[in-house]
Amino acid sequence: MTEELIAKSAAPLRPRTDSRAAAVAIAGLLVPGLGHALLGMWGRALACFLSVGALVYAGAGMRGNLFSWQSADAFSRLGFVADAGSGIFYLVAKSLEALGPDVSHSYGDYGTRFLATAGVLNLLAALHAYEAAKGHKA
Amino acid sequence: MSAGLHLSHFQALLLFALLVSVALGFLSRREPVERFKYIARSLFWFLLIGVGIGWAMYPFSR
Repeated sequence: MTEELIAKSAAPLRPRTDSRAAAVAIAGLLVPGLGHALLGMWGRALACFLSVGALVYAGAGMRGNLFSWQSADAFSRLGFVADAGSGIFYLVAKSLEALGPDVSHSYGDYGTRFLATAGVLNLLAALHAYEAAKGHKA
Repeated sequence: MSAGLHLSHFQALLLFALLVSVALGFLSRREPVERFKYIARSLFWFLLIGVGIGWAMYPFSR
């Protein structure tokens, strides 16, 4: 009897939990750390925001290559997926790189990796926030 | 940011390792002490492997 009551009360909550988790993940994708902030995980939110922000700032400062979604080859499109993972910081990087990329020097090449890492790190953080919102881990 | 940020190889490695270690430490560990240990260990391995690969490539650099 008790199990039936629990099952009945838990069933309607499932879609809401899923949509909330998806909303948290999308928020985290758009603004690094926002997904964790919505869950009240302030330390993780701040760490994500500052780490991704610093990687983007350094990457753009080193004039790394920021891939566009209109890239010709598959490898560049993959680079765009990585870069775009940093959400609004992708646009910040674009505005910071007023002179465009310069990969003729080693630091420009490093900058490209910094920008891609920022995006991939934020994708990982958004996935973590999604899992946390679903109650799988925290 | 027209002047640009000109970091040496080691400075870039150090900055990259520190930022990634901090982010992964905060994401994967909950307790502050565990986080600090994870960050320190991750940073150490990043630097050791980075410098190690650098030295391994040294004979082919000339």
